[in-house]
Amino acid sequence: MNRETFLAALRAALAGLPQDDIEERLAFYGEMIDDRMEEGLSQEEAVAEMGPVEDIAAQTLEEIPLAKLVRETITPRRGLRGWEIVLLVLGFPVWFPLLLAAAAVVLALYAVIWILVASLWTVDALLGFNGLGCIATGVASITRGDVLPGIALMGAGLVCAGLAIFLVFGCQAASKGAVRLGRAVARGIKKLFVRKESVK
Amino acid sequence: MDAQLKRGLLDVCVLAAIKSEDSYGYKIIKDMKPYLELSESTLYTILKRLEAANMLTVRTAEHDGRLRKYYRITEAGVGRIEEFKKEWKEVISIYQFVTKEEDHE
Repeated sequence: MNRETFLAALRAALAGLPQDDIEERLAFYGEMIDDRMEEGLSQEEAVAEMGPVEDIAAQTLEEIPLAKLVRETITPRRGLRGWEIVLLVLGFPVWFPLLLAAAAVVLALYAVIWILVASLWTVDALLGFNGLGCIATGVASITRGDVLPGIALMGAGLVCAGLAIFLVFGCQAASKGAVRLGRAVARGIKKLFVRKESVK
Repeated sequence: MDAQLKRGLLDVCVLAAIKSEDSYGYKIIKDMKPYLELSESTLYTILKRLEAANMLTVRTAEHDGRLRKYYRITEAGVGRIEEFKKEWKEVISIYQFVTKEEDHE
């Protein structure tokens, strides 16, 4: 491969990335090849030392921050045409609520997850209080002379309290799960942009 | 080697390669060759990172009828090398501690 075909192949492999990144990379590799040829290497040898074009392209994509990629895709290369602006303005009542709805869905998802966790903890706390209350009432009943109902109440209280202690583990697991799920959702949203980019 | 550690070491190596005089891409690779092999893509990444961190400045100059980029170390870059020398003393003492533990086993 000679210098020109290498640089052309690299340009093709980098297509779709921000223009300034492409030009800077091409200039860098061009200079590297020239300097090697100045040392007496043949064009082919100099190009071979650069490594595969695919590797360079993959590394370039990896190093450009996601924010820059997204910005680059959203900003059109050319100015907006008249009818596009008209469409954007006329379509505002359609696309804006859709955008809001999408954001609301994600927010609702987070809310549902955390409210579920919160209600689990609430149930657990109530069970605990209920248990303690039953035991106290049971003790009071026994001292008043109602021995049998008192024992029954205390038994019920112990069951509730035991259940509450046992449920703490379940609640902890649910909280951890919610955190993990939240992270997974965030990762999924990020990937959505990356996939779009690599397809392009 | 641990990726983070290697990254830091390569940064300092490139800074050292341009410390005594301004240098250009291919010369940096050649100067470092006896010590470690550095690929073009890796060097590009390091140079960009060091430039963003204000540890070097870039200027384009004409050479033999074409353009070449020259890299010059900044105060901050020299500071980084000095910092590295100090850090390395700590690393050596940690290394001695680690190997001492092994001798006892």
